[in-house]
Amino acid sequence: MGADVIERYVTDLGSRLQGSRRQVRDLLTETRDSLTDATEAHLDDGLTEAEAQERAVEEFGPVREIAHEYQAELAVAYGTRTLVWLAIVLPLMHMAWEYGRMLLIGPWQDFGTMPPAWYLFIAQANDLTSGIASGVALVALILGRILARKYDTRLLAKVGAGVAVVAVGTVLLGNISIILATAHLDAARLVQSAPMLVATLISWIVIIRFGLLARRCLSCATIVA
Amino acid sequence: MKPDAIRGHLDALLLATLDGRQLHGYAIIEALQQGSGGALDLPTGTVYPALRRLERAGHVTSDWSTVGGRKRRTYKLTQAGQRALSAERNAWREFTTVIDGVLGGGGTWAQT
Repeated sequence: MGADVIERYVTDLGSRLQGSRRQVRDLLTETRDSLTDATEAHLDDGLTEAEAQERAVEEFGPVREIAHEYQAELAVAYGTRTLVWLAIVLPLMHMAWEYGRMLLIGPWQDFGTMPPAWYLFIAQANDLTSGIASGVALVALILGRILARKYDTRLLAKVGAGVAVVAVGTVLLGNISIILATAHLDAARLVQSAPMLVATLISWIVIIRFGLLARRCLSCATIVA
Repeated sequence: MKPDAIRGHLDALLLATLDGRQLHGYAIIEALQQGSGGALDLPTGTVYPALRRLERAGHVTSDWSTVGGRKRRTYKLTQAGQRALSAERNAWREFTTVIDGVLGGGGTWAQT
């Protein structure tokens, strides 16, 4: 009966949380350990097993209130992880793609005619999006660390998720724009190099993966635990 | 002491509890309760998110280690945490000096 009290509490708490599986597991392990320690302390004070566990759970706090605080931390942790990935992978992916293009297709001048100004504008804007998105993610990470104790955790989680969504959205928009522009200019260029087609597909898989991570960030930051 | 009154000072209390030692979560809770003579009445579950927040700020680090035959997450102060604790202690001394000057009955306004 007594052991059920702690397990029930931990299970209830776990069912309300959303975030990285490892982070959730760590928090629940700590919770279980803390409740077990508290139970042992109350047993030493002369309570029965069932009473000791009930007291330990009561002292730990109402599950809804605790889940609310845990969820805020999980959301920040998930946002931080996503922003780290964005800061590192986006510029690397862009550099790899550009290097591949230069190697396999060559500079735009080699096409005989230079693309029109509007196309170059879109191409340059798209080139910048990865760098800007990565920079914004990096700044958000630094500010998040500096402001960790100054602002409410739930607010930081929402801002972090917002930054991740906007950063991924910008990169997505840049990539869609350049594909549509290229298709409008000369659709054959999109498929003229098989290795570059593969590189483009890989880029899209990474972008979609980031999109899913950003969406989950938002979900973790806005869920009512 | 009411939980709401403690909540605003929880970070500083945790930093002070970890000063010069490495403790796991429940040991921190016990130390807090012993240090306050049992007057700190806070849901113990709120300590863990607070420890995570301090870790995010770079004021504490944590490691999983085996304590008393059980695998536990233990926390200790970083150098930044030591500096934050010093700042918290100075701010607290300043605050209590000012408030005590007024509430303690020694203020000139109280004599008029």
